[in-house]
Amino acid sequence: MAQVEAELQPQAEAAPKPQGYWSGVLGRLAGDKVAMACLIVIALLILSAVFAPWLGLADPYRGSMIARLKPIGTEGHILGADEQGRDMLARLIYGGRLTLFIGLMPVVFAFFIGSALGIAAGYVGGLTNTIIMRVVDVFFAFPSVLLAIAISGALGAGITNSLVSLTIVFIPPVTRVAEAVTSGVRSLDYIDAARASGAGALTVIRVHVIGNVLSPIFVYATSLTSVCMILAAGLSFLGIGVRPPEPEWGLMLNTLRAAIYVDPWLAALPGVMIFATSLCLNLLSDGLRSAMNVRD
Amino acid sequence: MLSYFLRRLILVLPVAFGVSVVCFMLVQIAPGDPLTAIMPVDATAEQQAAMRAAYGLDKPVPVQYLIWIANLLQGDMGRSIATGRPVAAEVFGAVGNSLLLAFSAAIIAFPIGTFLGFLAGYFRDTVLDRAVTAISIAGVSVPNYWLGIVLVIIFSVNLGWLPSMGAGPGGSQDWHWDWTHIRHLILPAVTLAVVPIGIVARTVRALAGDILSMDFVQALYAKGMSRGDVLRHVARNAAATALSVMGLQLGYLLGGSILIETVFNWPGSGFLLSNAIFQRDLPLLQGTILILAMFFVAMNLIVDVAQAAIDPRIKRS
Amino acid sequence: MLNFRKTLSALALSVAFMGAHGALAEGTLRIGMTAADIPLTTGQTDQGGEGMRFMGYTVYDALINWDLSSADKPSELVPGLATEWTTDPEDRTKWTLKLREGVKFHDGSDFTAEDVVWNLDKLLVEDSEQYDPRQSAQGKSRIPAIASYRAVDDHTLEIVTKEPDATLPYQLAWIMVSSRANWEALDKDWEKVAASPSGTGPWKLEAFVPRERAELVPNPDYWDAERVPELDKIVLIPLPEPNARSAALLSGQVDWIEAPAPDTIPAMEGNGFVISSNAYPHNWTWHLSRLEDSPWNDIRVRKAANLAIDREGMGALLGGLMIPAEGFLPPGSAWFGEPEFKPTYDLEAAQALMTEAGYGPDNRLSVKALISPSGSGQMLPLPMNEYIQQSLAEAWIDVEFMVVEWNQMINLWRAGAEDPSVEGSQSINFTYFIQDPFTGLIRHLDCNLIAPNGTNWGHYCDDEMQSLFEEIKTTFDPEEQVKVLQRTHEKYVDDALFLMVTHDVAPRAMAPKVKGFVQAQNWYQDFSSITIEE
Repeated sequence: MAQVEAELQPQAEAAPKPQGYWSGVLGRLAGDKVAMACLIVIALLILSAVFAPWLGLADPYRGSMIARLKPIGTEGHILGADEQGRDMLARLIYGGRLTLFIGLMPVVFAFFIGSALGIAAGYVGGLTNTIIMRVVDVFFAFPSVLLAIAISGALGAGITNSLVSLTIVFIPPVTRVAEAVTSGVRSLDYIDAARASGAGALTVIRVHVIGNVLSPIFVYATSLTSVCMILAAGLSFLGIGVRPPEPEWGLMLNTLRAAIYVDPWLAALPGVMIFATSLCLNLLSDGLRSAMNVRD
Repeated sequence: MLSYFLRRLILVLPVAFGVSVVCFMLVQIAPGDPLTAIMPVDATAEQQAAMRAAYGLDKPVPVQYLIWIANLLQGDMGRSIATGRPVAAEVFGAVGNSLLLAFSAAIIAFPIGTFLGFLAGYFRDTVLDRAVTAISIAGVSVPNYWLGIVLVIIFSVNLGWLPSMGAGPGGSQDWHWDWTHIRHLILPAVTLAVVPIGIVARTVRALAGDILSMDFVQALYAKGMSRGDVLRHVARNAAATALSVMGLQLGYLLGGSILIETVFNWPGSGFLLSNAIFQRDLPLLQGTILILAMFFVAMNLIVDVAQAAIDPRIKRS
Repeated sequence: MLNFRKTLSALALSVAFMGAHGALAEGTLRIGMTAADIPLTTGQTDQGGEGMRFMGYTVYDALINWDLSSADKPSELVPGLATEWTTDPEDRTKWTLKLREGVKFHDGSDFTAEDVVWNLDKLLVEDSEQYDPRQSAQGKSRIPAIASYRAVDDHTLEIVTKEPDATLPYQLAWIMVSSRANWEALDKDWEKVAASPSGTGPWKLEAFVPRERAELVPNPDYWDAERVPELDKIVLIPLPEPNARSAALLSGQVDWIEAPAPDTIPAMEGNGFVISSNAYPHNWTWHLSRLEDSPWNDIRVRKAANLAIDREGMGALLGGLMIPAEGFLPPGSAWFGEPEFKPTYDLEAAQALMTEAGYGPDNRLSVKALISPSGSGQMLPLPMNEYIQQSLAEAWIDVEFMVVEWNQMINLWRAGAEDPSVEGSQSINFTYFIQDPFTGLIRHLDCNLIAPNGTNWGHYCDDEMQSLFEEIKTTFDPEEQVKVLQRTHEKYVDDALFLMVTHDVAPRAMAPKVKGFVQAQNWYQDFSSITIEE
């Protein structure tokens, strides 16, 4: 789980962007075959999760004693059936809903909250900066896996609790990056000029700062998604994330552990899904980073 | 050097205070009665109140914090609710086992990661580079708790080569550096090493690549230095950064081993933590988190200082 | 099925190559427990039935023990540290117990009546020097009848109960007697006693690493020569995660595991491992709310629900390791009696009863049920409850589940059906000990024990039942008492007071080299007869 940590080391740097920047990024990204493949995989996962009820799948909650632990390739259960005889294909697709939701939303929340805090700290500076950044330092003192498990462990299982604990984990690193890039931008000449012309702080932030700092923060945030997803599934795997009988990959991995002696392939499926998704998220984030010319 | 160390140390104190507050608050945010788990199912209300008083849970929160911190400074971290044993003894024993596991994983991961990263960085944009990049991305993407289960199935249950759980036939207190015990270490250490291999390889690749493309390296070549000499030069330059990444990784290995320790029943801090969570043993949860976080703070400090010692430029910045 | 076979044979093949594992000293039995920690070692154990099994009845004795020697009949009380016990016919609250002579604790000190007094003070008298809140928390509630006690002489003890109570011997079977001399020698510090405790039992605790392992060695001087252990050593290892337990057994790291996951059992049997199981006093039911607005007040609905469940079919879920309920107590219990109502699977009868009660396919009954996804002794609560949900739907009863974590479940169990925290749930799925008249019958339905005062969760109160409970307590002739217990149980079943589903069979899996184990029909077991054949 230590992958979290490497990603958490802020590394982005800001630079004012030239015109036509975004079309250039998209062009470069489209040319990156690996990133595009990953983008398609993730888009498919999200689409199938969103539209799961209309895909004609079996009921992911309804089990059958007869169908218990049917192997992959069984008629009527293409990917087999789980320990309660529930269709694995349906559970995996419906499971994508919760897994992706809990895996991605904390990063989204942390992106907004952390950016706001970091931009405020970086732009205003002084005491505001000190207070915000020292609090961030405290949370940085916890290895992120530990922090997530500690908060979730104390709060107990549940979707909301997982979202809360993971958001708390990811706010500090985003804040640090946001603070760093904002401080960098703040000292640039044209911002000085804007301020000298008498524009209010909020106006300067809105017009000049946000546009310049959001893209590096965004790229950084995308690099957190795979970590967040592995961590979210890990919480469920430990039994302090999503509660049964909800389909969620980490939880499915946990409940299918006993079946590993009956059918290891079946039991491994949810883990494969987590692996594949997180791999795609990482590759996509890498692709995005190089397309945006943000240094490694 | 000493003044730098002291300056860093002073900066650490408020962080340590903040960490203690966060750890204390963990118990406060927890819903329900922490004593539930240990009371017999048919305990009376009166018995429950007596237990609550015995654990000091009937006092106001700030008072509880002051008592807690005062005891903490005297090395008393309270008693585990589930076992009644002192938390400090439980946690330090377990952290020792986690350190053993974390160091073993580091010993596997760092040389392999460095070697792979170096290869990739040196032979940038070759097939070798791409292979290493693929390995390292796979390494950082794999849910290692799942990998652990897969390894148990293959190497313990199917092949019967390595044990699936525990820290040796006599438990962790009986640890020896012999094959009987090291066998128990292999699977969890390898599982734990996969992620840092990926991270170290990525970092070293980037470092090596950057430095090789710098002007002074070109100059060295121009001066007619051999490849080996250039490599040595590059390695020294990369050492400071690589060291900091590895130092932090070691700290993360310690904190991040909870899932792996659960899979392998390794009697470390992560295993203790998951027991504490499921028995809702909040003093133990609090104590374990606190010690791990403090260890991490100390690790950061050491890394900073060591980095400054290797590369004096860092001290000035 | 093909794939399944393939996996099995692959497993069998691989296990055949496992010979390389380091063999320990001969006669060492390594047991993987389900508990997350070594049970409390000082006397009164924690960790529920498992704690008493491994750390209670091994290292210690009670005054009155359970007989663990037979697998064929429900176990009964036998003399332990007390050789006989009688009540005064004039004053039924006064009990005299003759204590066994010549018994020594593991530390060499003599066992006397004073030690028993000292032990009871340890649990009941808060200002006594030896009072131990941890042991008290486990033991105090087990002996509610006791009012006072004194040592008459070295080997005679007198106990006075609060009111006449014939169930006292069962209560005393809970209380483990630890050594006072040992506690004094260890600076009167229970913490130190935990590391080297001393009892009178057939096993001595030799080594103890919290959360990792405990080692028991035989007590060659045990007072019952029949129960002097054959083995050299038992090693207890906490392995709470079912898969870690299975993997440990399959890879030869332990010789015995408690409660193997049902899905792993075929693989284990395929590899020559032995599954031992037996009936024991365990119950898996739904307790029903009897508050005014509860639909379960209608006996027709209660009976219909009991008739709607195909208990045999549920066996598939559990790898056959269950005993379908025929009543509240397990079939074969001495107290079973001859109830008229048979809770078998008869959907037609169930539907007829529901029709009679005014329900039908278009007028379905909705109920809310409390369940927990895990918990000690709960077997496989989720699939089993989902199975019940599907079964009851056939009898036009729609079940909505309220799923809570096990610790929260314990709170709700204590709080009772009327408490707002249960959010109007009309039943609770809870499993427990039914080892003696109190835990088996009285505590569930006694008017005086209505939650939160006791564990009468559903607020049931019935005059006829209450007088039966009185009769149990005041019938001092054991045979007569059994008859009263039978009448009580007949009423339990004939009134269909619970959704009676199944009994666990305490499965344990062991390596073929483990010989001589007799699984008693009890929560506790005797390990003395076991040998290891290398």
